[in-house]
Amino acid sequence: MARNARYQDKYLQNFKEHLKELISINCISKAYRTGRGKVQALSDISLFVETGMTLTIMGKSGSGKTTLLNCIGGLEGPDTGSVECFGVDIHALSNRDLSLFQRRNMGFVFQYGNLLSYLTVFENIAFPLILNGFRNKEKERRVSELLDKMELSDAARAMPNELSGGEAQRVAFARAIAHSPGMLLADEPTASLDTETGNKLVKLMLTMGKDEKCTIIISTHDQEIIKLSSKSSYIKDGKMKGPENE
Amino acid sequence: MPFLFWIKTASLFLVRSRRSTAVLILMIFSAVSTLIFLASLAVGINDAMIRNSVSLYSGHISGFNLPVNVRIKSLFTDGVSNVLMRIPVPGVVSYSGKMAAVTLIAVDPVEEKKSTAVWKKIIKGKYLEPGKNQILLSKSVAEQLNAGPGETIVFSPDHDSPPVQLALTGIYNTGIYQLDRDIAFCQIAALPSKAAYWNAAIFLNDAADKDLILAGYNKAYLKKSLFKTWSDLMPDLKQLIDLNYISMSIVMVLVFGVVSLGIACAFSIFILKNIREYGIMKAMGVSPYETLLLIFSEVILLNLTASFMGIIGGIAAVLMFQKTGIDLSVYTSHNQYFIVSGVIFPRLTAYSVWLAPCLALVFSVFAAIWPATLVIRTNTSRILRSI
Repeated sequence: MARNARYQDKYLQNFKEHLKELISINCISKAYRTGRGKVQALSDISLFVETGMTLTIMGKSGSGKTTLLNCIGGLEGPDTGSVECFGVDIHALSNRDLSLFQRRNMGFVFQYGNLLSYLTVFENIAFPLILNGFRNKEKERRVSELLDKMELSDAARAMPNELSGGEAQRVAFARAIAHSPGMLLADEPTASLDTETGNKLVKLMLTMGKDEKCTIIISTHDQEIIKLSSKSSYIKDGKMKGPENE
Repeated sequence: MPFLFWIKTASLFLVRSRRSTAVLILMIFSAVSTLIFLASLAVGINDAMIRNSVSLYSGHISGFNLPVNVRIKSLFTDGVSNVLMRIPVPGVVSYSGKMAAVTLIAVDPVEEKKSTAVWKKIIKGKYLEPGKNQILLSKSVAEQLNAGPGETIVFSPDHDSPPVQLALTGIYNTGIYQLDRDIAFCQIAALPSKAAYWNAAIFLNDAADKDLILAGYNKAYLKKSLFKTWSDLMPDLKQLIDLNYISMSIVMVLVFGVVSLGIACAFSIFILKNIREYGIMKAMGVSPYETLLLIFSEVILLNLTASFMGIIGGIAAVLMFQKTGIDLSVYTSHNQYFIVSGVIFPRLTAYSVWLAPCLALVFSVFAAIWPATLVIRTNTSRILRSI
């Protein structure tokens, strides 16, 4: 009996440790009220993503990709179900704790309008570092390193409106991973870019994400991205249609 | 999170959104500078009413029944610019069989001309000349006697002193009832006998505290004499000045209330224009408290800058008119509180300088509450979707 109990304790301990390395989406649903009535954006969606993995969420426009990413990132709460990131039920957190969790563990890349328009490229990338209490020297070293990797060293003092679309998305990506978050959420990051620039950005994201040991979840229409990711799921009318390739 | 980081970010937001910041600064600047000027003008109007009222005759402080052994010099303390001796003698003036009861006030004509303005109110003849046995009558007394300048008037004091003959040098009319009824003036040397008591008209410098000086006099002479300030002697003027301050304060609050509606709209637009930025920041993990800190830092920094410029502008406008004054005689000529001069000299006081900027800050902070709350309460995903 005692041996059995010890085994159960050890099992539970391992399971909890394992959970800390997981992003677990448990039966989440989300509906919106619009002028056209109730729209079910997400229906009973469950997903598990392991640390370091790249998950691509495919789906047509209006299928619920952005809503799913927002729920995972804590930008909006699901009506039912829960989202656990690294063992923390993020929607059970207070506003302040959720903000602290987001600033430490998450990075976002949006489709458009990613950058803080009143801050320079350097200041944009440094912003999450300051939020996370990096010291000046550390901050400058990290920003310079990221600018080098993004081939944007000469644009450090540029304002966002002086950048091309591809450059702006690279800066947004650099800012999203500057503080080495555990998770990067990218909502159609290539939608506003041409195919070549988009592919280059995605490759950069995946390579650097791997280097930074960052779990990446990307929503996209782009078939090319699926080939580069380790796991992909398809979403249609708010319902998960299962993995397309694992 | 360092507080200075949010202040720095707020100032970057303001500096780099040039046009919006400039428009808001212009609104607050013009409101603050205009209200500083108006408040200084209100202070100037009050000053003019006091100056006119006290400089006509009474002085800022009046001393009554001072024994003759109290010297004029002893009443010169810090803040006192001049002290005038007046010796009242009740009696009767007569001319050509007509008589009138008066209080003849013996004065020093040279000193009177320095500090008072009765000499400016001569309607016939001239003011008293030093060293001459002359009398100056009010218009009503002169009419009672039917006498004109150059005639000889006999003054018979109430007590046993013999009557004296005085040449009527002039007739005055101030428009102030108390001064125009049953009063006559002569110079001290022309009095028929030495007086036991005298009255004092004490004039103060602009910055002098009348209550402090009064307290000093009361401490030294209260047992024998009585001192009163202009506010005791002219309670109607005191009330008018208090009313002026209160109504000016109400006007300023109301004007700023209305202006603040415009400022509130501009602030709302300014903050909501940047809602995208706040949405991105929220997604990056900026807490609601930090978002509030950022928004209010922007509002307060903008306000302090605009108010500072407004204070400079307001002060400059006041300084422009402080020496020359603004001549409103056309609108004050029939007003007893502007009997000497209708020129208003706007004056800066703590009240006139600080009321407008303080109101601007309070109203701006209130104006920012609604948009700030909206930013905090709006779902991040909704903000980002609206981009």
